[in-house]
Amino acid sequence: MRNCIFEAMIDDYLLKRLSEDEMKKFEEHYFNCSSCFEKLVERDELVSIIKSKGDEIFKDEYISVAAKGETWREKVTSFLTPRQWAAAAVSAAFILVIIFSVIPMLKPTAPQFFINDDAVRGGSITLISPVFEAQTIPSHFEWKALGKDVEYKIYIFDNGNKLWEATTKETSVNLPENIKKGMTTGEKYSWQVKAFSPEGTLISMSSKVQFKINDRE
Amino acid sequence: MIATMGNKKEKILLEDIFVKYRPIVGFRVRKSLGARNPDCEDVANEIITNVIEKLKKKEFRGESSIGTFIYTITSRRIVDYIRQKSKVLKHVPEPSAYPDPQEQIESKERAETIATAIKKLKPKYREVLYLYYYKDFSREEVAEKLGISPRRVSERVNYSQKLLKKYLKK
Repeated sequence: MRNCIFEAMIDDYLLKRLSEDEMKKFEEHYFNCSSCFEKLVERDELVSIIKSKGDEIFKDEYISVAAKGETWREKVTSFLTPRQWAAAAVSAAFILVIIFSVIPMLKPTAPQFFINDDAVRGGSITLISPVFEAQTIPSHFEWKALGKDVEYKIYIFDNGNKLWEATTKETSVNLPENIKKGMTTGEKYSWQVKAFSPEGTLISMSSKVQFKINDRE
Repeated sequence: MIATMGNKKEKILLEDIFVKYRPIVGFRVRKSLGARNPDCEDVANEIITNVIEKLKKKEFRGESSIGTFIYTITSRRIVDYIRQKSKVLKHVPEPSAYPDPQEQIESKERAETIATAIKKLKPKYREVLYLYYYKDFSREEVAEKLGISPRRVSERVNYSQKLLKKYLKK
């Protein structure tokens, strides 16, 4: 059974929601379309019964609506229709995908760290030797490479005071004799390496590692 | 009453016209004059008689459909009636036995049955009928209140009607 397009106007006609023109059109139509007229009469009966006996028929609705009002849940869910909710969910998901796929690409390739001397962040430099203890006054300092074209700065500290520093592109350095002479056994020293990119940006720094020079037997 | 003159074929045709269009004319008249108006039946009868007469006189030449022809006569008569009525208050509204006592009792019983049937519908149908017809909210407003699409509102109304029909047939 094919639906007549005028069927959509039945309710609006009965509820007096049509404009003058639409009303005339529809009235002329139901003089010509028996299917619409039949449906119109049926619907008219239903509507007029509801209008005249509604307070009795809908006692429950009346009470429940008056009693509960609108709960917050209804307020939230009725804020949008299900279709709108679905659209909102889809667009939210889309935005999340964009954020998580695009933002990582925007990250600069060379990481920049804001570090003070005591904090270590980012890919760290691992110091190989000397750590903890040294049998003699160490002359060779070695650490793990961080990458190509990295410039390292090494610092030797004596109780927090800088004793010596040097710059190199190697991953090890030899301590000059005159500095060695100034170091004594039984004392604690510490050292640290900082890594710089070719542009001079600080990439990373190791933690300060302490070593003790044992007394010679 | 119809077409005592004329041949048999014409008589059948005019009878068909009466059977088919009398209810439509009556409906249209009640919608314009108000269902409680005691004049409705008279006006409707007058219109359909007028239609039959015009048809007998061959005033309908098929420029439009027969439905449109009758619609035009009906509308004109209704306009006349309303004009007359506003000039002279012919009828003091009085409780009258319209359409006829027996029929009225029957339709009253039918209305009771339908009311009972509506009460038995599931809440999701009742709430739509309640908001849409009783509370007179628009389709969109009902949809918004119930968190469903406007199309769903119509679907539920139509389905309610189907269920009620089924119930009445029992």
